[in-house]
Amino acid sequence: MKNRLILIITLLFSIIGTCKLQAAPGNDECYNCHENLDGKVQAPAAAFKTDVHHLAGISCSGCHGGDSKNGDMESAMDKKKGFLGIPQVKTRYMVCVKCHSDKKTMQSFGFKGGTEQFEKLKESVHFKPSYNNQGPIADCITCHGAHGIAKVKDPKSKVSPLNVVALCGGCHSNATFMKQYNPGIPVDQVIKYRTSVHGEKNAKGDANTAQCVSCHSNHGIYSVKDPRSTVYNKNIAKTCSGCHSNSVLMAKYNIPSDQYEKYKTSVHGKALLEKGDAGAPSCNGCHGNHGATPPGVETISKVCGTCHAFNMELFEKSVHKNAFASRSLPECETCHGNHGIQPVTDEFLGTGEKSACIKCHHSGDKGFIVAAEMKQLMDTLGMQRKSANEYLDKAEQLGMDVSDEKYSFQKLKQILIKTKTSVHSSELDKFKNELNPGIEIVNDAEISGRKAIENYYFRRKGLAVASILVTFLVVLLYIKLKRIERKDNAK
Amino acid sequence: MSKEKLHSSSTETGKADSAINKWLDDRFQLAALREFAKHKSVPKFRETIWYYFGGIALLLFLVQVCTGILLVMYYKGTEDSAFESVRFIDAKVNFGWLIRSIHSWSANLMILAIFIHMFSIYFLKSFRKPRELTWYTGIGLLFVTMAFGFSGYLLPWNELAYFATKVGTDITGQVPVVGKFMLTLMRGGADVTGATLSRFFGIHVALFPGIFAIFLMLHLLFIQRQGMSEPEEWAKLDPKEKKTIPFFPNFMLRELLIWLIVINILAVLAVYFPWELGKKADAFASAPQGIKPEWYFLFMFQILKYIPGKVWLFDGEVLGVLFFGVGIGLWVLVPFWDSKIKSGHRNKILTYIGIGIVVFMITFTTIAWIAG
Repeated sequence: MKNRLILIITLLFSIIGTCKLQAAPGNDECYNCHENLDGKVQAPAAAFKTDVHHLAGISCSGCHGGDSKNGDMESAMDKKKGFLGIPQVKTRYMVCVKCHSDKKTMQSFGFKGGTEQFEKLKESVHFKPSYNNQGPIADCITCHGAHGIAKVKDPKSKVSPLNVVALCGGCHSNATFMKQYNPGIPVDQVIKYRTSVHGEKNAKGDANTAQCVSCHSNHGIYSVKDPRSTVYNKNIAKTCSGCHSNSVLMAKYNIPSDQYEKYKTSVHGKALLEKGDAGAPSCNGCHGNHGATPPGVETISKVCGTCHAFNMELFEKSVHKNAFASRSLPECETCHGNHGIQPVTDEFLGTGEKSACIKCHHSGDKGFIVAAEMKQLMDTLGMQRKSANEYLDKAEQLGMDVSDEKYSFQKLKQILIKTKTSVHSSELDKFKNELNPGIEIVNDAEISGRKAIENYYFRRKGLAVASILVTFLVVLLYIKLKRIERKDNAK
Repeated sequence: MSKEKLHSSSTETGKADSAINKWLDDRFQLAALREFAKHKSVPKFRETIWYYFGGIALLLFLVQVCTGILLVMYYKGTEDSAFESVRFIDAKVNFGWLIRSIHSWSANLMILAIFIHMFSIYFLKSFRKPRELTWYTGIGLLFVTMAFGFSGYLLPWNELAYFATKVGTDITGQVPVVGKFMLTLMRGGADVTGATLSRFFGIHVALFPGIFAIFLMLHLLFIQRQGMSEPEEWAKLDPKEKKTIPFFPNFMLRELLIWLIVINILAVLAVYFPWELGKKADAFASAPQGIKPEWYFLFMFQILKYIPGKVWLFDGEVLGVLFFGVGIGLWVLVPFWDSKIKSGHRNKILTYIGIGIVVFMITFTTIAWIAG
């Protein structure tokens, strides 16, 4: 620990000492000399030729220390002058940090961007210690390189939108490397990405489509389970909306830009964003994440069915399956919509104005009749439930215990879900089979409620009878007592 | 029916009675008992009415035993099922609601009757020689009854009972030296849990009834042996001037008449004001507002609230507990420090102290009740 501290302090001093050692590209004696050498020692200088730092006038000593103005090799590489040689892997990021975290230094080079990269990196998953404890898992050089660093938007940059997928994939597609940190982590992200709309366009040279950094961010990358992560389930819709709510950008692809606004008001959006229900889907729940693609007309029920399994199963066996396919209607979406999907109310069924059925069915056809009957049965259950509830409430107000009956209404919730699910079968008999237990529960509850109310009055009548009897006994006893006392007094 | 037939029928009944009496006498020698009963009498004076409260307390105890036995048939004394079993008793068992309500009301009325009985004994100075032991067994009965109430209050395992027991046992924990030990012993651990419920149930239905029965037997035995206490003024009266009523059947029938009235009151209370069950106890829930113990502990609870956290160098709550400890101790020991026993005069100071205590208890109970 002590040695590490001394190392960091020495490094810092040497960096501070060398930071101002700027030189015009022609005056960098280190570069001049190495450029004319061969092989291994020449390669860094060759790469540095087009490096953004070299072009900005930063000499080799800016990172390596020493005196790059001095033509004498020994004097230039004198350790007393802060020469580092190749910075140690563990602490090499400090070389970058000393300038990139200093606003004044960065401004002196005309850089107008932020200086918070290291602050973000420090917190990120990449800055955790590597498996062999040789510095962080990934540091600045891991992604940006060392001598051939280009601006991010420069196609030559390793982190440019068109190159960054390969860069990330370098580690994340390498199962041998990744399992050192998490044996269960998937390594197929790049393969999936290449099958996605984003990946296809990116491969064709469209730098505007999303790549790794667009969703995961760059320096401040966190685990998906970390609420700070841009791809944490509650944040992902906001992340996607960064591009998909940009109407100018989306217009180029003929895609609407109101999905996020609709999603926020949808049953899924409210469940996830307002109620914090982690089981509710965000954009990736339906579209996928790395392989993001819009579901097709025929496959949409499979996508919805990953959560709504029973609905899917029933729909696929129903008459609607072929009917929708023959008309090229998207399965679930035709009735329920997509991004702005709203909770299903009873009015959604039947033949009323808000019914989904009347979009296709008309008065007199079989579907219309079935829909009307299903709605009528649902309404009957609703009315009976209301009536039973009134009896139970009254009994409760009278102080009678009807908690068991009220508890039985919990089962009703389950029955109603099953009944509404059975609508997807489009079969009246299946619908009735699910609904009838609910009718029985409300009937039983109503009978119990009535009995409890009757019992309440019975108790009072019973008390009155018992009280009269006891009072009668009291009077008899009193008369008897008086007789005895009169007799005693007479004696 | 002719007079002759009537006469012959009553003669036959008389013969049968005497045959039974003879049969019993041969075996149990009941003649002495009959003679004792015939001569047992109760003083008849202005304050005779107070003599009935001991009998009322006895009736309510019998009601407790009967309803308690019925409740125990369905009650389950565990954390998971206590509340549910009481709800089952209330909702599903035939007349279960009535039995439970009577049990709860009768418990409270019993404590009230014992309190009235105790104060009447105190004001009539009936605790004096030779009845010191009758006084102590009576005090013992009061303490056991209050312990019955405290342990029984937790058994429905509802929210109010849970937190009230927590507060109640916390107060016990303030007793110097043995407080912490008693707290752990009562709770069966550091906190009120299912272990507390199990032991409260155990002592409520097994230990306390046993102790109560012993005290009750001694108490009744002493009363029968020494006879009813007479008013102080009678000491100077000629025996012929003392008015009495026979215990059998006069006093007995009067007592029976009052018992019937009490049963009627009990039934009205149980039906019109059934004991609510409330919500199931939840150790992780925050304590609901207005947590307070049963009414007979309220005055102590209220006083403890007034005592500051720190009084000079001492902990306020500890001082409060000590204050009540000493007070109750002096009350119990009244036959010893009542200085005018020997003179036979009315001890007015004693009466004033008693009135002060009654006013004190009623005032602070009322304040606590109003404060909610």
